Amino acid sequence: MSNFLFGRYLPGNSWVHRMSPQSKLMLCFFFVIVIFFANNVWTYATLSLLLIVVVLMSGVSIGYFLKGIRPLIWLIIFTVLLQILFSSGGHVYWHFGPFSVSDLSLINGGFIFVRFLLIIMISTVLTLTTTPLAIADGVQTVLKPLKKFHFPVDTLALMLSIALRFVPTLMDEMETILNAQRSRGVDFGSGSLRHRIQAAVPLLVPLFTGAINHAENLSTAMEARGFTDSEHRSKYRVYRWQTKDTISWGVFLLVGILVLFLRNN
Amino acid sequence: MDQTISFKQVTHTYQANTPFSQDALDQVSLTIPAHSFTAIIGHTGSGKSTLVQHINALLKPTSGEIEVYGRTIIPTTTNKNLKELRKHVGMVFQFPEKQLFEESVIKDIMFGPKNYGASEADAEKDAEDAMQLVGLDESLRDKSPFDLSGGQMRRVAIAGVLAMKPEILILDEPTAGLDPRGHKEIMDLAQELHDHRGLTIILVTHQMDDVVDYASDVIVMDRGKIVKHGKPSDIFADPKWVYQMHLDLPSSAEFATRLVKAGIHLKQTPLTIEKLADEIAELIKGEAHT
Repeated sequence: MSNFLFGRYLPGNSWVHRMSPQSKLMLCFFFVIVIFFANNVWTYATLSLLLIVVVLMSGVSIGYFLKGIRPLIWLIIFTVLLQILFSSGGHVYWHFGPFSVSDLSLINGGFIFVRFLLIIMISTVLTLTTTPLAIADGVQTVLKPLKKFHFPVDTLALMLSIALRFVPTLMDEMETILNAQRSRGVDFGSGSLRHRIQAAVPLLVPLFTGAINHAENLSTAMEARGFTDSEHRSKYRVYRWQTKDTISWGVFLLVGILVLFLRNN
Repeated sequence: MDQTISFKQVTHTYQANTPFSQDALDQVSLTIPAHSFTAIIGHTGSGKSTLVQHINALLKPTSGEIEVYGRTIIPTTTNKNLKELRKHVGMVFQFPEKQLFEESVIKDIMFGPKNYGASEADAEKDAEDAMQLVGLDESLRDKSPFDLSGGQMRRVAIAGVLAMKPEILILDEPTAGLDPRGHKEIMDLAQELHDHRGLTIILVTHQMDDVVDYASDVIVMDRGKIVKHGKPSDIFADPKWVYQMHLDLPSSAEFATRLVKAGIHLKQTPLTIEKLADEIAELIKGEAHT
C-alpha cells in the first residue's frame, strides 16, 4: 500500500485547496468533457496549458503527479500502441500484416496519450487537494437537483462519507490481519492460482466479520446520538461559493469556448 | 538454536520516498537475550509495535540489520524462506481475536501448525494441547469461534499461535480490553510459558504493574529510539524521568511517592505490592520486624 498515491489527500493551503469542493468537482467534470471535444494540436495545447496552470496553482510538486500516473502507465501504453498499430489512413511508413504505422496513426496515438494524461492529472489535482469528506459534501451539493426525482441524495451522501471514512480503517485492519496470518504461516501472493485463492480466505473472512461488527457498532452509536434519518439534518461544514470559484469557472469556460473555436470541424 | 535477538542500527521509515514518509525507528541497536522476559514500554506512537514486527520480518528495516534465530534480515530480504523463522517466532497482535476465521475453534487453532507442514493428526494434537494451555474448555472444540465471548475468542487466537510451538513469543498488548481476571490469566500464562517452558517472551504493554510483576528486562522507547534498557528497578528508580517519558509509575511506586510527600520515607522505592507491604510493615513494627 505504501506507494499507492491515487485518491490521497495532501494538506495544503493553495488557491486550489481553498476552492469549494462542489465547484472543483464540477470543474473537473467540465474539463474532462472539454477534453473530448479537442481534436487538433491547438486544442490540446490550450488544454495542456490550462492544466499546467492548475497544477502550479495547486502548489503540489510535480513528482507526486508522476507517481499518480505510474500505476496506469501500462494501460496508457497499451491503448496508445493499439491506436498506432491499427488505425488506417494517411501516409503509411511501415506495415506488416494487419499492423501499420502511418503519420495519422502516430498523431492519433499522441493525442490519446495526451488525453489520458490530462484526465488523470486533473483528477489527481482534485483528490490531492480535497479531503475525502469534502468530496462527499461536494457530491451531495452537486446531486441536490436529483431530489426532485426522489433520488435519495442525503442517504447516498451519508453512505459515501461513511465509506470514505472507513477506507483507511479497513486498510489498517487488512494490514494487521495479513500480518497476523503471515505469522501463522500463510504465504500470500505465491504458489498456484488455486493456492492463492485459498490463501485469501483467512484474510477475507475476518475482514468481512470486522466490517459487520463496525457497521453494528456504528449504527448503535449513531442512534444513541439521536440520528433518525439522513434528511432533515443541519450541516456543520458549509462550503460557500467564493470569488475564487467564480474566477476559476470564468477561466475554464473561456478555455472551453476557445477549444470549440480551435477544433477542426 | 540461538534465540538471541539482536538489532544493529535498525532504521525503519514508513512510506519512504513519499510525502507521507514517517520515521518509526531511528538507529535502533539492542540485544534481547534468549529466555528473557522483556517488556517494551513507551508513549503511544514511540515505535514499539514497529520494533516487534521486525523480529519475525513482517517489516523489514529501511537500513541496518537484525539477527534472529540464525537468520539475518537486511533491507533487501525477500519474503521467500521466511516461514522457518516465523514458525519459531510466535506473534500475538493487538486484539488477536480479529484474526479468527475458521468454522470451528479446533480448526482455527490447527491452522498454524498445518501451514508449517504438520500432518492433520499432529496438528490436532498440538491444537488440543494449546487449548488446554490457555484454559479453553474441551466442550468449545467444535463451536464456531464467532459464537464465543470476547475473552474466549482471544484465548482461541493465542492458542492458535501457541500451537505452532514458538520459542520466541511476542505479545503486543495481549490484555487490552480484558477484565481484571482475564488480564491476570493471560499474564500468568505468559509467565508460565517463560518459567517452565523456557520461551523468550517479549511483551509490549502500557501496564506498568505488569512490567514490574512479570518482566526481567525493560526497554523504554521514545520517538523511535531506545532511551533506556535495563532491569525494572533501574527504569523506575527516577520517577521524574518516567513522567518525562509520558509513562506512569507502577501503582506501588506511585503510592510510595505519595508517602514521601507526606513525610514517610521508605528504605527503597517498592515496585510490587508485596514489597510495598513489606516496607510499610517494617516501618510500623520498627526494629521488632526482621
